[in-house]
Amino acid sequence: MSSADWALALTVGIGLALRGCGLLLGGALRPDHPAIAWASAVSVATLAAFVTLAIAAPAGLLATVPWPARLAGLAAGGLAYGLWRHRLLPAMAAGLVTLLLARLWTG
Amino acid sequence: MHPSLHTGIREALGAPAFAMGATFLAFGAAVAEAGLSLPWALLCTGAVYGMAGQLVLLQVAAGGGAALPAVVAATAANARFLPMAVAIAPLLGRGRGRYLALPFIAITPWAAGMRVLPGLPEPARRPWFLGFAIASWCAAMAATAAGHLAAPNLPAELRAALLFANPLYFALLLAADAARPGVAPALAAGVLAAPLALAVGGAWGLPLAGLLGGTLAFLWGRRH
Repeated sequence: MSSADWALALTVGIGLALRGCGLLLGGALRPDHPAIAWASAVSVATLAAFVTLAIAAPAGLLATVPWPARLAGLAAGGLAYGLWRHRLLPAMAAGLVTLLLARLWTG
Repeated sequence: MHPSLHTGIREALGAPAFAMGATFLAFGAAVAEAGLSLPWALLCTGAVYGMAGQLVLLQVAAGGGAALPAVVAATAANARFLPMAVAIAPLLGRGRGRYLALPFIAITPWAAGMRVLPGLPEPARRPWFLGFAIASWCAAMAATAAGHLAAPNLPAELRAALLFANPLYFALLLAADAARPGVAPALAAGVLAAPLALAVGGAWGLPLAGLLGGTLAFLWGRRH
């Protein structure tokens, strides 16, 4: 098995264990227990850092998109999300279309 | 078929499936772009089933790095499985039957379940959740396969736009969650800690930034 395969197998196992523990604890621990609140804060912060890096300093193919186009896509998505009463589909469509148009505009 | 199972399937195959479809299409294309196989992509979607962790795992695995940092980073990104499962467990009925939902606890089904299940009679809740979850899981698998297979034929501009669907999707979900208690400080701390991830670099940067930011946000929340 390659390193990528091992990483996938271990991540799957730990993910299932986390879900299983959560279902087990669900009957015994309050959702606002400090341990759960800490785990939740860490997961939100990790996700927020990931999103920030993916938009501000992406790697790979997304890095070929100029940063003003990425910011325009994010802003359009957020605006559409507010205007369309928190509906994900039109917000994502607006963000992606804006990204493509802004990329054309910026060359 | 239980009527609630059917209702769950029908509701999943609307906007949620489209939103997830774009995200998982992009993921399939990203896996192909990284030179990893279709079975790897399908196993990652089907068994990890948490896009943040999937992307982190892909980023590290595609770089040929060691397995352990990739696992730590992906687990940290998907650590929300634990509090999500705790919160939804009481809505999935009693007994071992609730464990049928175990592989499907992910952001989209969880958010839909937390919104819809409290309004349903107890016997209808688990079938509704399983219908919704299995339908959205099938949509994610199909989109992953389509993205992987179509990646070589997609223009680079479109592939880049599809890759943008992932951070956009999570940015919107985070923004929607910001009003919930404790989320806004953790969100702000994660954004502020992002430069630390860049400075540390490699696979450890992101989990360290998340751990530091999340812990500070948690401590700040305890004092206010």
